[in-house]
Amino acid sequence: MLRVFRNRPYLLYLTRKAFWYLVAFVAAVALNFFLPRLIPGNPVSVIVGQMSAGAVESATLERLYTAFMRDFGLDQPLHVQFWTYLTGVLQGDLGTSFMLYPSKVWDVIRQALPWTVALQVPAILVGWIVGNVLGALAAYKGGTFDRFAFTGSLMLSSIPYFCLAIIFVYAFAVHWPLFPASGGYSFGYFPEWSWAFFVDALYHYALPFLSLVLVAIGGQAIGMREMAIYELNTDYVNYAKKLGVSDRRVVRYVFRNAMLPQITGLAISFGTLIGGALVTEAVFSYPGLGSLLFTAIRQVDYPMIQGITLIITLTVLLANFLVDIAYGFIDPRIRAGQVGER
Amino acid sequence: MELLRILLRSNRFMAGFWIVTAVLAFALLGPTLLTDVGPFQRVGGLFNPPSRDALLGTDNFGRDVFTQLMYGTRTSLYIGLVAGFVATFIGVTIGTLAGYASGVIEEALMGVTNVLITIPPIVVLILLSVAVDARTATTMGIIIGVTAWPWTARAVRAQTSSLRTREHVAIARISGVGSLEMMLVEILPYMFSYIFMAFILQLTGGILAEATLSMLGLGPFQTVSLGTLLHWSLLWESVRVGAWWAFIPATVFLSITTFSLILMNAGMDEIFNPTLRHTR
Amino acid sequence: MPNVVEVEGLEAYYRTPAGDDIKAVDGVSLAVREGEVLGIAGESGCGKTTLAQVLGLTVQKPLYVRSGKVLLEGRNALALDRETMRREVRGKTISTVPQGAMNSLNPTLRVRNLVIDVMRDHNPRIRRREAVERARERLDLLGLPPRVLEAYPHQLSGGMKQRVITVVSTLLDPVLLIVDEPTSALDVTSQKVAIKLLVDLLAKRIIRSIVFITHELPLLRHVADRIAIMYAGRLVEVGAMEDIVFRPQHPYAEGLVGSVLVPEPGMKERTVTGIPGRPPDMRRPPAGCRFAPRCPKRFDLCDRDPRPFGIDGREVWCWLHRDQPNAERP
Repeated sequence: MLRVFRNRPYLLYLTRKAFWYLVAFVAAVALNFFLPRLIPGNPVSVIVGQMSAGAVESATLERLYTAFMRDFGLDQPLHVQFWTYLTGVLQGDLGTSFMLYPSKVWDVIRQALPWTVALQVPAILVGWIVGNVLGALAAYKGGTFDRFAFTGSLMLSSIPYFCLAIIFVYAFAVHWPLFPASGGYSFGYFPEWSWAFFVDALYHYALPFLSLVLVAIGGQAIGMREMAIYELNTDYVNYAKKLGVSDRRVVRYVFRNAMLPQITGLAISFGTLIGGALVTEAVFSYPGLGSLLFTAIRQVDYPMIQGITLIITLTVLLANFLVDIAYGFIDPRIRAGQVGER
Repeated sequence: MELLRILLRSNRFMAGFWIVTAVLAFALLGPTLLTDVGPFQRVGGLFNPPSRDALLGTDNFGRDVFTQLMYGTRTSLYIGLVAGFVATFIGVTIGTLAGYASGVIEEALMGVTNVLITIPPIVVLILLSVAVDARTATTMGIIIGVTAWPWTARAVRAQTSSLRTREHVAIARISGVGSLEMMLVEILPYMFSYIFMAFILQLTGGILAEATLSMLGLGPFQTVSLGTLLHWSLLWESVRVGAWWAFIPATVFLSITTFSLILMNAGMDEIFNPTLRHTR
Repeated sequence: MPNVVEVEGLEAYYRTPAGDDIKAVDGVSLAVREGEVLGIAGESGCGKTTLAQVLGLTVQKPLYVRSGKVLLEGRNALALDRETMRREVRGKTISTVPQGAMNSLNPTLRVRNLVIDVMRDHNPRIRRREAVERARERLDLLGLPPRVLEAYPHQLSGGMKQRVITVVSTLLDPVLLIVDEPTSALDVTSQKVAIKLLVDLLAKRIIRSIVFITHELPLLRHVADRIAIMYAGRLVEVGAMEDIVFRPQHPYAEGLVGSVLVPEPGMKERTVTGIPGRPPDMRRPPAGCRFAPRCPKRFDLCDRDPRPFGIDGREVWCWLHRDQPNAERP
């Protein structure tokens, strides 16, 4: 082992993690680059061809064609193309949008990203916290409470996000019009830092947020319950009881140790929940990445789709990395350099 | 056999099992027994409410929703099954190899697996679906399967490496059994229940992934699935105009199918994983 | 010699998920004397670990006690309320060194914090620093490095974990220490050190008696003063160590002594090799002597439950000795 890492297990852990995230990042960029090139033939003419099925003037098509040939750099060898793409990405250049030509993809995404982050991050975090408490309680109490909490959580977690979203819109926005049915803010408002806008946005926020949180609670509660039941049956819990340690403290041991894998669970949720959450946005026409993706797919806007998938990947990787850093701080086994991977 | 007997006594498993069977019967037999129109046949106007002619009304193209529901469930289940098989096959193969081989091969296989797990599956799904221009139900199932296997691989590897230290495997190794036979005879059969559970989870995931992709507009061509049903009803604003029959049935079917599959899985988990049984 | 703890007519069962009751301990009466090491031996499943659990007052589902008493200074400890049992008895009057020391320490807790928790949960007025100080003195007294207090469990070797657990279990000077298979996971050297520590605790009068549970009779030859042998939930023979090891009277004890003196690696946790057959199904134990179906000296009286017969100070539950007087119960 390198000398730098001697007696610095946490640094070793961090470096190893950072390396794997770098690999994942390059892999993700490569996927973003290569997969659209699987389209048989010249992707640009295919794309432009698909667009010409719509009512687009031929002069516009011509202009698009030249612009995208330049963007894609198709006349270059593949590795040069990839390099161009990679350096472009690193400089924040994700190409030009078809449907919103000549807007740059990044500029469009930059408008939508805050809405998505503001919706999903709190939803995942709240779902995670409430779900963990619920799961731990179910494991500890057992009996009827457990049966109800567990079956309820199973039900919540197995409902697809967007199904709950659809039912919510229909029930609480159409049938009983308590909340707005779509959008992130009312018509006539503009995103700005004002109290009125904030209240209006919050009003639009409630339903999508709730529909995301409920499903997240279910999944996390199941995971936590399983971990906590496992921990409750471990030797160290039995030993603590034999020593006459109080129940309250035993519960604290169990909760803490069951929590550790749940932190990794938090990282995983970022990656797996994002898909359903994107559709939820589309159901609510929420002005985030999900709705943008929905439209981009309808309009066959390749650069936009690619840009969105890339940004999603990056965000998820970043979130995962942050969680891993936190995890390394919390688990003494990593600080002491005992366990590398979990 | 003993396990099967216990399974039959598990309420969770049996409840899930019967609902799944009912959904399956509806999807397989429904189109011949319960309807006399085709899935693409127009039987009325835009969003006709339920009536004697159309039990669940019509959709945005004037097609019978009840008929669509049966065909849609069939397609969704089919895609889920294909995805489940593909993902389980790749996952079990890679997981067993990695768990059995150890050393450099294990490191390499698990390195790839872990990198793929970090990349959100929806991203790869979207990119692949966009790249494949003629999407049939089968290609969709395959696409979903090839993006979903890393979880199974990881779980199977953990199982394999713990099985590897068991006595019967050691005895087989001493008696000179070859690696391939070893994996097929001494390791895989002992993971059967585990693999079956992983398959159920992948099946559930496949059905969900299909719905997600289809709702985003990347569904199978020339066929109707629960996801495409929802996609069109969403696009035609059926929710906001209050045409509940156009989206509630598909929503409910999707939820019920995934719920009952997960219920089955939870029932099996309790039996094959004695630590989950409550002792308090 | 006065008795430290007495068990009277103990019956304990396990309830299976299917609702069956499995008899684990059946009518056991036993006394632990001041200053002694009482060894309890038998095959796995004979009820010795269950007995340890009841003695340690850590009965929890699916195990339950149907009848019987654990007498501590004349009071039935099993009848105490939960909180008193925890605070006054568990860890303080009767303490346990559990089976499986490797996993018995919370992986995310430093030893010092466990020490603090144990001390303060029995006496909230003790300050944290005092608790640690007490532990440090005790480690020092027993020749263990005080720095283990700062360690996490995974930083300790197997043998060290075992010793740390022994010290933590005896921090509050319990009257009785129950030791359950303390050496099964250790190498020979660590075994010796672990046992020396137990003897040391007794010699320094930190604890007053030990109940030592094991399936390895030879181990008891070096530590036990008396030995009780169990079979299928019942006692079969109780007596002084030399008597049991060199002159066993019960056919099962004979078999057990004979078979383990010819140790067979890997087989020790299964059935006893010297005796053909297996222990009975404890869902429906046979009437009469439990060992009769396997016993080479079986005869017609064996269909009836044997009484304890006294043979020069020991008790034997076997009809072969019916001409001896009934044993005097302790």
